[in-house]
Amino acid sequence: AIWGGQSSSGCAGHSMDKSITLPPDEIFRNLENAKRFAIDIGGSLTKLAYYSTVQHKVAKVRSFDHTAKTEGDPLYEISMQEEVSARLHFIKFENAYIETCLDFIKDHLVNTDTKVIKATGGGAHKFKDLIEKKLKLRVDKEDEMTCLIKGCNFVLRNITHEAFVYAKHADSEFRFQNTHPDIFPYLLINIGSGVSIFKVESEDTFERVGGSSIGGGTFWGLGALLTKTKKFDELLQLASKGQHTNVDMLVKDIYGGSYGSLGLTGDLIASSFGKSATPDKEFSKEDMAKSLLHMISNDIGQLACLYARLHNLTRVYFGGFFIRGHPVTMHTITYSINFFTKGEVQALFLRHEGYLGTIGAFLKGAEEDNPNQYSWGENYAGSSGLMSTSPDLNPMQRARSGTFDMLEMDRLERQLVNLPLLQDPSSYIPDTVDLSEDALAREYWLYCFEEALDGVVKRAVASQPDLPEAAERAEKFRHKYQHKLQTLRHQPFAYGSLTVRSLLDTREHCLNEFNFPDPYSKIKQGENDMALKYFQKAVKSLGELSWEQRQFALVRGLLAGNVFDWGAKAVSDVLESDPEFGFEHAKLQLEERPWLVDAYDQWLERLKGPPHKCALFFVDNSGIDIILGVFPFVRELLCRGTEVVLASNSSPALNDVTNSELQILTERIAAMDLVIQSAVKEDRLTLVQSGSSSPCLDLSRLDKVLAGVVRERHVDLVIIEGMGRAIHTNYYAILSCESLKMAVIKNSWLADRLGGKLFSVVFKYEVPPGHKTTTLDHVPVTPS
Amino acid sequence: MAKIVDSSHSMDKSITLPPDEIFRNLENAKRFAIDIGGSLTKLAYYSTVQHKVAKVRSFDHTAKETEGDPLYEISMQEEVSARLHFIKFENAYIETCLDFIKDHLVNTDTKVIKATGGGAHKFKDLIEKKLKLRVDKEDEMTCLIKGCNFVLRNITHEAFVYAKHADSEFRFQNTHPDIFPYLLINIGSGVSIFKVESEDTFERVGGSSIGGGTFWGLGALLTKTKKFDELLQLASKGQHTNVDMLVKDIYGGSYGSLGLTGDLIASSFGKSATPDKEFSKEDMAKSLLHMISNDIGQLACLYARLHNLTRVYFGGFFIRGHPVTMHTITYSINFFTKGEVQALFLRHEGYLGTIGAFLKGAEEDNPNQYSWGENYAGSSGLMSTSPDLNPMQRARSGTFDMLEMDRLERQLVNLPLLQDPSSYIPDTVDLSEDALAREYWLYCFEEALDGVVKRAVASQPDLPEAAERAEKFRHKYQHKLQTLRHQPL
Repeated sequence: AIWGGQSSSGCAGHSMDKSITLPPDEIFRNLENAKRFAIDIGGSLTKLAYYSTVQHKVAKVRSFDHTAKTEGDPLYEISMQEEVSARLHFIKFENAYIETCLDFIKDHLVNTDTKVIKATGGGAHKFKDLIEKKLKLRVDKEDEMTCLIKGCNFVLRNITHEAFVYAKHADSEFRFQNTHPDIFPYLLINIGSGVSIFKVESEDTFERVGGSSIGGGTFWGLGALLTKTKKFDELLQLASKGQHTNVDMLVKDIYGGSYGSLGLTGDLIASSFGKSATPDKEFSKEDMAKSLLHMISNDIGQLACLYARLHNLTRVYFGGFFIRGHPVTMHTITYSINFFTKGEVQALFLRHEGYLGTIGAFLKGAEEDNPNQYSWGENYAGSSGLMSTSPDLNPMQRARSGTFDMLEMDRLERQLVNLPLLQDPSSYIPDTVDLSEDALAREYWLYCFEEALDGVVKRAVASQPDLPEAAERAEKFRHKYQHKLQTLRHQPFAYGSLTVRSLLDTREHCLNEFNFPDPYSKIKQGENDMALKYFQKAVKSLGELSWEQRQFALVRGLLAGNVFDWGAKAVSDVLESDPEFGFEHAKLQLEERPWLVDAYDQWLERLKGPPHKCALFFVDNSGIDIILGVFPFVRELLCRGTEVVLASNSSPALNDVTNSELQILTERIAAMDLVIQSAVKEDRLTLVQSGSSSPCLDLSRLDKVLAGVVRERHVDLVIIEGMGRAIHTNYYAILSCESLKMAVIKNSWLADRLGGKLFSVVFKYEVPPGHKTTTLDHVPVTPS
Repeated sequence: MAKIVDSSHSMDKSITLPPDEIFRNLENAKRFAIDIGGSLTKLAYYSTVQHKVAKVRSFDHTAKETEGDPLYEISMQEEVSARLHFIKFENAYIETCLDFIKDHLVNTDTKVIKATGGGAHKFKDLIEKKLKLRVDKEDEMTCLIKGCNFVLRNITHEAFVYAKHADSEFRFQNTHPDIFPYLLINIGSGVSIFKVESEDTFERVGGSSIGGGTFWGLGALLTKTKKFDELLQLASKGQHTNVDMLVKDIYGGSYGSLGLTGDLIASSFGKSATPDKEFSKEDMAKSLLHMISNDIGQLACLYARLHNLTRVYFGGFFIRGHPVTMHTITYSINFFTKGEVQALFLRHEGYLGTIGAFLKGAEEDNPNQYSWGENYAGSSGLMSTSPDLNPMQRARSGTFDMLEMDRLERQLVNLPLLQDPSSYIPDTVDLSEDALAREYWLYCFEEALDGVVKRAVASQPDLPEAAERAEKFRHKYQHKLQTLRHQPL
């Protein structure tokens, strides 16, 4: 149901502005099951939040009853099931649309259990009666600042790349900060009409340590008096064109130059508006607005810096309507903070700053569900992303008139934590290349994902042959993802730093959005089936090799297995055109040693030493990769006396093996191999979920259970396999134990970048600095 | 006595004192220093004063025979002592004053005049031409701090706390032997914040561009009033609540959970973005004054906390004797520090720069090795703050303010046995806080004056002009008593 101005759906009789860019059912999604409403009404914008459930298809695999198994039957059964998951919806729109929006919500609200709407913000009082009348919900006011801080904690904890540093003249305007596990303590400077400064020490401990009456209202109020311009955005626009030096008295205006003995440069503002007391001189609106902006930003910057020093805090976040997406104010605040702290403190801004209040109000209302016990993830498919800052610095709010901004967050099934083996969690950055900072790389990858889209659509349709409307859904998916790619081309920072990972994840989110939970399920099933047939033969031939030959064959097999990857275009082309492309063929494709990155000799030396206690293996693809590459390698580790933990994705992504698939595969392999069988039985081989559903790997967001296993088993070797996990991400990750990063580069552009060629091999074996090498102290273990 | 100097110069008629009562002891003057600010000039010089001292001498005891001889001999002697002169006047009088000084300057050893302040550059040529002295520029902030150290150390009751609505507007602080460390907030066009740790160790720890120039500049733009004093006068009549957004304007009352009272300013000028509303000049000026004073107050408080300092002195033209600004700054400091830090002002704040410049020039004489005392007879004292809050500078137009300090022969220190030197207050009753006692004692001293004059004349039977001098004494002391009746501080 497309909702135009004259449409019949619920808004007849109301004058919804024609310029609304999206039909409301694409804005207020999943309203049928919505419950727990919250609303934050500010001076000009309303932010609505609700909790809802989404029913979507998931692909499940189930092993057949083995006893009755006849030859030719598939390995396992794949079924599509409906699953319900929780999602938070946040929508931001101009106050002018409140009434129309409330009407729409009322008409689509099915759930009648909801009795209350949590409200916060200065406007909550004003619209209380309207809300109560329209929605028949009781408005329950929540403390504004508590909501603000609760919201801030939530986004900092759950949204990747929530915080960013603003650098106007840098290659990339926004530099995103990685999500830290420990978000506390921090300083939050909320610049609304006035300024409030909060020290936040834990989820429930915060204190307003200071504030100032010189804030956004002062800019607006004084600006209006000085320039007769009454609109905040227009004032900012004036300011962006002005020359403050015409109005401000600089150090050089007083001393003729710098004031060296005090370390004051000549261009420093000695006195804001210090020149405007001059009789009979006219000052331009632009210059006065600029001077005012500097005065206020510098003042707030200095206060922020002093409070940060006084409370010994280095993380300082800025929010409030003075900041909200305005590059001019972010720039002046950043400049001021840099000046006063000499770079010791960074001014951090938040992508979802405008939503903090409503998120907080929602959380207050949802306390009985304890939303903080879950991990949440931004849904890239349903979220608008950060707005572009146009080069002429036009204020964005007017440009956005009639548009709705959305944020959707999925409740993740597993609680996510850091890998305990990260050397320094606070400096860990999963992504190897930040595409928002590298225009060439960005161009390439955006092009690459666009090129691959046809194939993805085709496979998506093929994955649901029984569902006639699959083609239509697939087209919708194509449209949405293409639109996302276009948005990202113009606003690379829309969802934080643009990376290959975020492009892949966005695609997965969009596929899920249109109920294509696992387009590769059938392909994976077939490949697994085929590869299993060769497993025993492969193990047998390895057993005939000498110890040293075998070690090399195992690594080579693992790398060759990794060539089979539908995620990489170069390979998916070959696989689709030549299904006979076999394991042996793949081995021939591999680069000869020395590899592009080649630490094999060190690894071999290490193998001559004592066995590792326990290896954690992040696996990659289904089929040949996992069965003929990974399992023989794992088998050898087990034989050496090393326990193995196999970590696989919780939900599907491309042709990556999922945890449930791997469980079936392991059972089957155990049935034909005694080493694996006894290892499973004796709990020396364990399967865990990674908590991820991405072809890449973020070691700071892993399943809590996995982290527990890592600690319990005293993991001392981490193996990361594949381009997505070991090159696009984690290539530079530093672990506190030994690690192996292995991948075949199946993308010629990337190979080129790394100085190699297609099918170049990366074999990185790293020992943390100061780690005791045991190689020479021990007698080599005799190979079995 | 009131001889008018040099009729060829157009000395403003409104000068209230004859110049030789202002520039005293010029004959022996040396070591000049000048601090030229935006509107006021402060001149300093060192001079020597010849005056009579009564000496007693014991007779030779061995030759002492006769019964009726007195115990010891009393004689009047001439003695020369050192005195520092500081004079403050409006920039408009510079030329006339320089001429007067030139004409009366006898000492020809002086080659240099130390100069500081923003105006020193502007008047350099004039000074060099008139006085034939080389202008030697000294760093403004160093002078300021040197001057501050000097007055804090040498002038009793130099620093005071300002309390607008209290019985006594000024509450003076006792001079502490340990004046360091302290924070000095100089509010000129902008704000500079200094941490002073010793005579020669100080650091500009912070500053702000929101200062006196901002009040003046923004005030001029908002009210079309171009004069600083008039802006202050407007401010003193305004209602800031018409322009500022208070906590209660947003939340309907106090914001209890954050401990914010309803009357707290949430946003300065927060109401003035309202379309189509006119705001009065007075209200805008008041709001501006509050905005700036509160901001400086908060910064002062934060720097004090950061550097662990409790003594915070305020100076600069924004403060200089203006009760309105002293009040708002004091209010702000009290608010932000909850009383832990007091805003301290200085009686001779305006002289700090010139005192410092003078001291820089006199370093070879090492003036800091002596103790100095304010000469009440030669010093003007703090000006009254008239109840209608009229700015004083205009009222003072044509007046000269003076400070004279005598070099004491002995260096003065604490009695080492004082339990707590910093809390020691010598005086038992503070008459400025006790109106009844003040009345009584002023009356008492007035009553006693006749007797004192009589005794003074009698003490110098050999000097014929003693009676005339005694009358001058009576006149001066009576004038001081009258001044003190109206300005007890």
